[in-house]
Amino acid sequence: MQTGTKISGFAHVGLIGWMVFGGVFSAHPDPFEAREVSVISAQDFDAFLAAQQPPATAAQPAALPVPEIPLDTPDVQTETDVEPDQVQPSETSQPETDAAPNAVPTLPTPDPDITDATPVLQPPEPEISEINPTETPNPAVRPVDRVAPTPVAPAPPDVRPDDVTNPEVSPDKGAETPQDVQEATAPEEANDRIVTEADETSTLAPSRSVRPPARPAAPPVATPTPDSQSEPDTSVNASINDALSEAMETAETPRAAPAGPPLSQGEKDALRVSVSRCWNVGSLSTEALGTTVVVAVSMTPDGKPETSTIRMLSSSGGSDGAAQQAFSAARRAVIRCGASGFDLPTEKYDHWRDIEMTFNPERMRIK
Amino acid sequence: MMKVLVGILAGLVLMSAQAMAQSGPLRIEITEGVIEPLPFAVPDFVPDGASASEISAQLSRLVASDLSGTGLFREVPASAYISKVTDFSAPVQYADWKAINAQALITGSVKVSGSRLTVQFRIYDVFSGDELGTGLQFVGAPDGWRRMAHKVADVVYSRITGEGSYFDSRVVFVSETGPKNDRHKRLAIMDYDGANVQYLTDSAAIVLAPRFSPTGDRVLYTSYETGFPRIYVLDVGKVERRVLEEQDGTMSFAPRFAPDGRTVVYSLYKGGTTDIYTLDINNGKSKRLTNATSIDTAPSYSPDGKQIVFESDRSGTQQLYIMSASGGEARRISFGQGRYGTPVWSPRGDLIAFTKQSKGRFHIGVMRVDGSEERLLTASFLDEGPTWAPNGRVIMFTRETQGAKGRASLYSVDITGRNLRPVRTPEGASDPAWSPLQK
Repeated sequence: MQTGTKISGFAHVGLIGWMVFGGVFSAHPDPFEAREVSVISAQDFDAFLAAQQPPATAAQPAALPVPEIPLDTPDVQTETDVEPDQVQPSETSQPETDAAPNAVPTLPTPDPDITDATPVLQPPEPEISEINPTETPNPAVRPVDRVAPTPVAPAPPDVRPDDVTNPEVSPDKGAETPQDVQEATAPEEANDRIVTEADETSTLAPSRSVRPPARPAAPPVATPTPDSQSEPDTSVNASINDALSEAMETAETPRAAPAGPPLSQGEKDALRVSVSRCWNVGSLSTEALGTTVVVAVSMTPDGKPETSTIRMLSSSGGSDGAAQQAFSAARRAVIRCGASGFDLPTEKYDHWRDIEMTFNPERMRIK
Repeated sequence: MMKVLVGILAGLVLMSAQAMAQSGPLRIEITEGVIEPLPFAVPDFVPDGASASEISAQLSRLVASDLSGTGLFREVPASAYISKVTDFSAPVQYADWKAINAQALITGSVKVSGSRLTVQFRIYDVFSGDELGTGLQFVGAPDGWRRMAHKVADVVYSRITGEGSYFDSRVVFVSETGPKNDRHKRLAIMDYDGANVQYLTDSAAIVLAPRFSPTGDRVLYTSYETGFPRIYVLDVGKVERRVLEEQDGTMSFAPRFAPDGRTVVYSLYKGGTTDIYTLDINNGKSKRLTNATSIDTAPSYSPDGKQIVFESDRSGTQQLYIMSASGGEARRISFGQGRYGTPVWSPRGDLIAFTKQSKGRFHIGVMRVDGSEERLLTASFLDEGPTWAPNGRVIMFTRETQGAKGRASLYSVDITGRNLRPVRTPEGASDPAWSPLQK
């Protein structure tokens, strides 16, 4: 033991001595560059800075934006700017997506918030939300009773099928105020095609998927309009303004009926999806499935169809009997899905008071 | 130049303003829908007297079963009903049926007086609040309540779908008993749903491929009674039969009636070749339609009687061909992988059903008359022998399970490939042939 202690003591002493005297802690200055500087006076420095600044006359390019041909039409621009303003009603249009979560994949709605409004696709447990993207294609090859444009995953057990998805709400035992009990609902399971027995054993991988809807057109970018002050007041502009005012006057004559902006494409699509969800062609004959019917309906301000006004305007592609069958299916779709009112913007009622719907089953024939 | 510019500009502004004004109705086009069974309700028909209560309940259930069995309709259970139908003549409470999403409602009444059964019924489009057509009444014998129920279902089906139905029809088939190596076969006939089975022959000789006449009163079939296959024609009502074609040293099989009911097309093995012939039932004259060294068999007429589809191995493998009903050059219509056989022309004339063997499995499929749009509807160890329902929308066929104890049974499937379901028979069954709708 003592021998070991001695050896360790000598070794430590030797090591410390080497570190102290061997130059381990000696500083090795990093190599550096040395530059010579000269001291100048403040006057010289100011003079030097003054020499580096651009000449004051560089402001002249501001005169360049003056257009040679001032064809910009300020009045028209302000009219077309109405289109981007339609973003404002997006708050009122959000409940559409709440009421129709299934329609989200096919709704070309420009508002990205819509994805946040799909509670079905975002279950509370994160691990399930990770599974969902890989599991969603599976129902596309499972034989189910319902074929729809958009595949719908099977609803959990004990959930009542409905058009909308609602979580189950049970009254809180400790609540002082009475609470409404809400039954859990979810859309019925559906495939986007008919799966025959011959297809079942082939593969579980999806063979095709619904084509995503086209991206909605971006709102027009407002082009900067030059100041009216900069417009040269020429005889050309005067004649243009005269022509514009004349044209606007003549256009305003038939405008008296519907006021305000028309329905946006997203609002039209939402209506289209709402009706198509109830348009059941499963019990139609082969001939009726080849018949297109145009159906007219008048709407009440709360978005409900007036049943007595539903009528067939025209048909094509089949006999009278087939057209009548196709019309019956279309009428059922309008009445069923409009029973609680279509989600349409009330401020645009004048634009959807009367609706003509063309039911074209061509794409349903191959399913 | 400047005037032109001004004119164009003014026109653009005018169009823009008019577009914004959007006079007229809102127009949308709907191209996507759903395919799902249509919900319907059939409250028990109102019995007129205690004697009718049992029949009314059974009859209502059979109507519901017929409709649900198509896969196109779904019955709303009685437990969901809000209102009860206790008076056939009372106005319908549409709101109550709308609330349970019953889109079609069938109400009726049943009356039994002596040997007379009277059934009245009406069909309503609930969401339109209208009656579909007018009410109908059937009268018959009480023991014929099943046929009356089928007829009620036929009317409901036709009025809702707009096409013909098939419930009041029959199926002739080969009933099979015993193991595979000692199987006894006899002809049998039943309702389309497997009820009322009656046997037409005994099991002394093997029988094959029965086929109904266009009027449903006669059946052609092949029997090995003499040791060789021979074609017989059997009167269904009298259960009397006679041999139709007999030549020494030949074998005749695969017969089928022409749409006129007077001509029979069949295959004849003679001199080492199998060709297709026609036979006039009235005068017994036969005519040869094909003349090749290949095996040509399983002929089937088009509904207009002008063409015949058949199977042949003239190209090396078993494929489908179409030729004129008077013979001549045949046109091949099947070009997929595998072997095709037993083609049957649809009563509508638009499709041909067939059996396909590919990659060790058998399929029932359909294709257009020109061979396009081939679709396989089933897949199993052994599916074969399709036959069309009278409306051309459903196909019945034979499915046999694998192994020594394998059993043959009948199945039906919609031409979309949906609604595959077994047809209940008391014993094993094969070779079905669907009759036309009964008068």
